[in-house]
Order: sequence, then C-alpha cells, then structure tokens
Amino acid sequence: MTELGNIALWIALLIALWGSAVAFMAGRTHRADLGRSAERSIFALWGLLVIASAALMHALLTHDFNIEYVAAYTSRNLPVFYTWSAFYAGQKGSLLLWALVVTTFGAIALLVNRGKYQELTPYVAGTICVIAAFFIATMVFASNPFERLGFTPPDGRGLNPQLQNPGMVIHPPMLYLGYTSISIPFAFAVAALVSGKLDTGWLHAIRRWTLLSWLFLSCGIVLGMWWAYVELGWGGYWAWDPVENASFLPWLTMTAFLHSVMIQEKRGMLKKWNIGLVVGSFLLSIFGTFLTRSGVISSVHSFAQSNVGYFFLFFLIFAALVGFGLLWYRWPMLQAEARLESMVSREAAFLFNNLILIVIAFAVLWGTLFPIISEAVRGTKVTVGPPFFNQVNIPLGLFLLLLTGIGPLIAWRRASTANLRRQFLVPTGAMVVTAAALAAIRMSDAWSIVAYALGAFVTATVVQEFVRGTGARHRLHGENWALAFFRLVGRNRRRYGGYVVHLGMVMLFAAFAGLAFKSDTEVTLKPGQSVDVRSPYGHVYHITHQGISQYEELNRFVTAASVDVQKDGKYFATMKSEKRQYLDSMGQPTAEPATEVAIRSDLREDLYIVFAGAVKGTEQAVYRITINPLVWWVWYGGLVLAFGGLITLWPTAQGPTPASRRRAEPAGYVAQVGA
Amino acid sequence: MWRKSALSFLALALTAASLAAQTPPSGGARDSALSQRLKARPGDSLGRLEVPEAAGRAQPVVTARDNSELIKALEHKIHCTCGCNLDVFTCRTTDFTCTTSPAMHQLVLARIDSGMTEAQVLDAFQKQYGEMIFMAPLKRGFNWAAYLMPFIGLGVGLGLVVGVVRRLARQSARVRATAAEAAEAAPVAGATPEEMEQLKGELERFEA
Repeated sequence: MTELGNIALWIALLIALWGSAVAFMAGRTHRADLGRSAERSIFALWGLLVIASAALMHALLTHDFNIEYVAAYTSRNLPVFYTWSAFYAGQKGSLLLWALVVTTFGAIALLVNRGKYQELTPYVAGTICVIAAFFIATMVFASNPFERLGFTPPDGRGLNPQLQNPGMVIHPPMLYLGYTSISIPFAFAVAALVSGKLDTGWLHAIRRWTLLSWLFLSCGIVLGMWWAYVELGWGGYWAWDPVENASFLPWLTMTAFLHSVMIQEKRGMLKKWNIGLVVGSFLLSIFGTFLTRSGVISSVHSFAQSNVGYFFLFFLIFAALVGFGLLWYRWPMLQAEARLESMVSREAAFLFNNLILIVIAFAVLWGTLFPIISEAVRGTKVTVGPPFFNQVNIPLGLFLLLLTGIGPLIAWRRASTANLRRQFLVPTGAMVVTAAALAAIRMSDAWSIVAYALGAFVTATVVQEFVRGTGARHRLHGENWALAFFRLVGRNRRRYGGYVVHLGMVMLFAAFAGLAFKSDTEVTLKPGQSVDVRSPYGHVYHITHQGISQYEELNRFVTAASVDVQKDGKYFATMKSEKRQYLDSMGQPTAEPATEVAIRSDLREDLYIVFAGAVKGTEQAVYRITINPLVWWVWYGGLVLAFGGLITLWPTAQGPTPASRRRAEPAGYVAQVGA
Repeated sequence: MWRKSALSFLALALTAASLAAQTPPSGGARDSALSQRLKARPGDSLGRLEVPEAAGRAQPVVTARDNSELIKALEHKIHCTCGCNLDVFTCRTTDFTCTTSPAMHQLVLARIDSGMTEAQVLDAFQKQYGEMIFMAPLKRGFNWAAYLMPFIGLGVGLGLVVGVVRRLARQSARVRATAAEAAEAAPVAGATPEEMEQLKGELERFEA
C-alpha cells in the first residue's frame, strides 16, 4: 500500500506537469482537446492524491513504523481519533493534505463552472496544476511522507501531547482549507489576467470561493485560539506568534477584498486593487507556510527545519512575479468604469476600511519580520512580542471598528446631510451613552472604554438596519414581523449576513478589551488550605485545595489536583487541573508532562486554574489562578461571525446583483452612464 | 537523571503489568502494576505522591513577592531565553518544564533585593543578554522604524486615498455640471424635474 502511495505521488507529479503545459497551450491555441485534457488532469491528480492519502492513512492506522512519518507521529497506544489527526501533524503529511485539498477544490471549481467562463477555464486548470505540481514536487524531492527507515522500531514516538486535544483535530484542517481555497480565486485572477477577460465574470466565479476561504480561515483562527487557551495553559488565546500572524495576514487581505469587491460589482471601480488583493492573499497564504517550514523565524508552531523552506521561497517569488507581472501587463485594461463622487459616500468608506485592513496587515507583517530586518540593518537581534503588536494594532483596530459602523450606513455615490443625520443619530447616541456610563463606573482602561463605546455604535447601526428593513417589509407587504425579518435576510443574504459578521466582530472586540482586566495569582496550598481571589466584577472566589491523586488513563499517567471553589460564599464548582505524562505502549514517556487546565466559564469571566506542580513530591500544590474577563465572547463571537459568513455564503436564486451581471458583459452599461 | 530513572521504573511496572495480563502492549491498561501499587500504598499523612516525577518538575513554594505587581510588571517586559517567545512571567507560570524562566525570575528578585530600581534591573538584563531580552524593541534609533512605519503607512495611505477621492470627486462634479448645462440647453425629451428625479431613483435601484 505504501509503495502504491509513493508511485501515486510520482505519477501525480508527471500529470501535474502535463496538465500545466497543456492547459496554457489550450488557452493560447483555443484547442478544445487540450482544454479537456487539462481538466481531466485535475481529476486524475485528485484521484492519485486520494490514493496516496489512503496509503498514508493505512500506514498510520496499521502502525507501519518502518515509515519514518508514522514512527515520528504515532504510537501503538495513540487513540484512533488522534492517529487520524497525525495525518497532518507533521510537515510531510500536511503537504500531502494541502495538495489533496488544492486538487479537490480545483476539481469542484471546474465541475461547478462547467460550460461557463470557457475562456478562463484552461488557465484556471493550468494554475491549479502548477500549484499542485509545486506541492507534489516538494514532497517527492524534499519531504516524502512515504520515506522508509533502515529498520522497523517496535513503537513510534507518539503524537506531541499538546496536539492530543479535540481543538487540534479541527483547527489545522480548517486553516489548511482556508489557505488552500485561496488558490481558486488566485487561479481565476491569473486566468482573467492571462486571457484579458477582465469584466466581472471572474468575480462571479470566485465570489463563493473567497467567502468560503474567509470562513475557513476565520474558523481556523478562532479554533486555534480556543486550542491555545484550553491546552497551552498560559491563560491567553493570542500571543502574536509569527505563525498566528501568518494566518491572520491572508484573513485581513481577504476581508479587505470582500468589501472592495462590492465596489467593483456595483460601480465598476477598484479593479486593479481587487486583483492585487487576491494575488496578495494567495502569496500571504504561501508566506505563512514558508514561515512555519523554513525556520527563518522562531515560533512555537514551527515544523522541524528542513530544506522545504527553499522550495516555498522559490514558489513565493515565482507566484509573486507571475501575479504582479500579469497585473502590470494588464494595467491599462483595468480602468474604472465610474468615478468616486464624494468623500462622504459608501465607496469612500469602503476605501478607508480597505486602507486600515491593509495597514494592519502591514503592521503585523512588519512586526513579524522586524527581528530579521533589525539583524540585517544593525546586526542586532530584537524581540517583537505582544507589547509591540498591541501598541500598534489597538488604535488601528479601533479605527477599523469605527469604520465597520460607518460603512454600511452611508449612501452609495454621495450622502446628504439629511441622510447622515437620519442614519447616525441613534448609533452616535448609543456610543456617547456607553462611553459616559463606563466613565461613570470608573472603568480604568481608556482603550477599553473606546472599544466598548465603538462596539455600542456598531451594534446600534446593525440593529437599526435590521429594524428599519423589517419595518419597511412589514408596512409594504403586510407581513408579520418575524416573516418580514426572515424574508429581509433571505432576499439580501450578502448584506444582512455581513451585518451578522459585524456583530460577531463587535463581540470579539468586546472580549479583547476585557483582557485589560485580566489578573494572575500564584499560590502554594496544602490540602485543606484556601486562598481568596477577587475578580474585576468584585466577586470573591474562595479556592480550597482538596488534594492530588495519581492514576492511569488511556495512554497517559495522570496527576490531578482538585480544588473546591466558592463564589461569594456559595458553592461554585469542584475543579480539577492535571499533569499528564503520556506513555507509549512500552510504558516509555513520550514527552515531558503536559498541563490540562481547569476552566469555569460564564458570560462575564473565566476562572482559569493551572496546576503548576507539587512541592517536593508532596500533596502541597502550586497553582496559577487567572481571572479572565469576557473570554466567552471570543468563542461565541467566533460562532456569530461564522454564522454570518454562512448566511452570506448561502446560495440565492437571484445570483449576482443586476449591476454586477451587467458588468460581466463585454460592453458594460454603466461604462457609458458613469462617465 | 532522577526523572529518567523514575520513568524507567514506571515503564518497567507497566510492562510487567502487561505481561502479567498476557495481553499485547496497548493503550488503556488500567490495572497495571502501577495502579496496584497506588492502591496498595496510599499516600501517607504527609500526602506524598507515589510518582512525583509524573507531576512534572518539583515546584518551589510561592511567596508573596512572586505575586508582587512590580515583579510581574518587570517580568512581562523580559523575554525568556529558553526559545519559547514568551515573557519570563508567562513562561514560568505556563511551561513548567522550563528551567530558564524560574532562574531568570530568581535573578529579577535578586536584583531587586540588591536595591536596584526597575530601570536598573532592565539595564542589567540588557547588558547581560543584549536588546533581544526585551519583549518589544526599545524606542530608540532604528527601532523607531518598527513603531512608526505602520503609522507612516497609514498617513501615506490616507493622503493618497483622500487625494484621489477629492480629485475624482472634482472631476465628477465637473461632469455633472456639464451634463446639467447640456440638459438645460436641451431637456431630455421634455422631461420635468419630477420625472428626472424619478429616473434618478430608478437608476439607483437598477444599480443596487
């Protein structure tokens, strides 16, 4: 089976190269037979990569420890659930997953668009083949998942304990899906640029893909935050680690694109900018992978260093030259069809929104790379950690939050004073009242006050839009309020789904602002001893150490420390934090003991208890007790965000807007009117 | 060494249990010799752990000074040198296998005890480890580029966007004025102002 997988990879490489060549030839010569061959290459590639993946999965599940990858990431006593996730726990498996997902998405994109965009399709197939060829070549020449050892160890090294968490089973595939699905918009952008078919047709083809990609990235990022919070035990969920930043960068540029593409669809503007954002997002997704694989920047997420980084660097440069080179070549063909009419218009607000998103992306990229830049310029290494990123990004993020409220309320083309007054009176009132209330209760952190006031502003804008829209339907069509509400959302899912996303963002910002009030306490307690910890809301947690127990469980030896907690004098919870010593089937420890955190969460705050260890082998325990305000809002904000994304993504019978459909035609109607 | 020997013992106990049960090595062997040993020899009145090594590195007793706001604030500014990307406080209260951050914590305490101010402690760390010891670049010299570039980018971007929007808005206003003059000179098929308004409304709806 393993040999079959290896052979499948080699054949896939040859087919990817063939597919790339014939696809571009088909595009140039308009030969249908070559075009069909290119499309079939994608399906064949998909089939071969499925075979290779099945072979690797078979090796993992049957414990074929002669395969280096299987020995490195699994052990006989690893639960099947995590043996499955070992598929992408290491570099080699994750490259195979990436290639598989790219070809899967490529095949779906070709099937969904069969018979449509005929001038684009060969180039789309060709671009996907090139991307797949790169990943397969990286595997077969530098990081082959089927590489064999010179001997067969009796057992494997097992999976990193920190990866043995349900969050880790979902989080990496979500991010991979996000990264890889950007390949499809990139392929269409390249196809549009090469073919010169630069109307909004290619935008229609990629609309759902960009949303899907954004949704996967969003879910992947939030799940990663959840994993870091519950598993790593440091009491936070975002550390501005280079690899976290690498996933955040394409999310920012994709978010910018999802806003600016509306301007192109409605007004025929920002064509160059939109293509630039799609190309940039793809490059950033490759850049993120380059960061994790190359070892150029130290990160807790880094894979083992290998020469794979050079492959990624080469591909990054190649893709940038091709993408931006084509954009430069087609520059004269990407003229706007209409002009901005006023600074006070939705177009201008979206432009500012794009600017802020790109500046945040730049700030994150700049901070991530600054240690290398500093070393190159001054020969001095510096550390760029959370204090830097928070200092730079908090004001930018709050500015973005303000624009999140402003953008949807301003009229297209030009907003009148009456329009502004009508739209902004209530939201501004909500903002002022919130700020005054927080100042009155003496909230100590100024940034938090601004964040909550702006959050109230955005929430009011969204609620106002829903109320007015529902009210209008209720009056015009005589529908009851619930029906009017659902029809309102159903008729314009993109717009109202977007508003739900905005609400999710407000919840996330509220949670981030809560971090200003986080508190940490370290204590040593003997059994029966207690400590009182006061939360920012004034609650007093009376925490009593019960004792430490040790026992075996599945593939680990557990040391569990228990505490009884009273909140304001009433029983609240019994909480247990653990040290887990993972063992292989021979009883050998696979790594240092890992920590399992005890968390009690509610709307207002989390009680987060970490058992640090025992004093001199006794039951006297050391705990770190953290009060984390508003963490609940991160997870549910993420859910609301994803729900809004799903509403937006849900297919509608109408398809693209009439204005956008017109622009897909060669002679755009608005091109004549707008001038 | 102590950890190795203790874990070897653990391994031996587990293997023996597996052999006794005549089952192949597999996960979830709940009745191993270790479990039996735990049942047979419960912790004494002092509450000693049977396998202390399995609870990770032995922890020192926490003192009030460890929770001092001054110490925490200082340690949040100092980068742990174990390669973890965390500050000293976060590392020592998170990665309990790390021996670097507890040592750096002791160094912070010792320097404060010697009468150093917060700034002097940070200076001493910088002399010892260089600039990379701080969690964020110091605001001086070339490091200002780190802090200012995003805002310079924002300024340039804002300037460009505002400039472009204004220029386009002026051009658009000129086009509208010309169109209005032309409309006055030759009204569109005798359209009334009301009809023009209605047409504009229809066009807006059409474009939405």
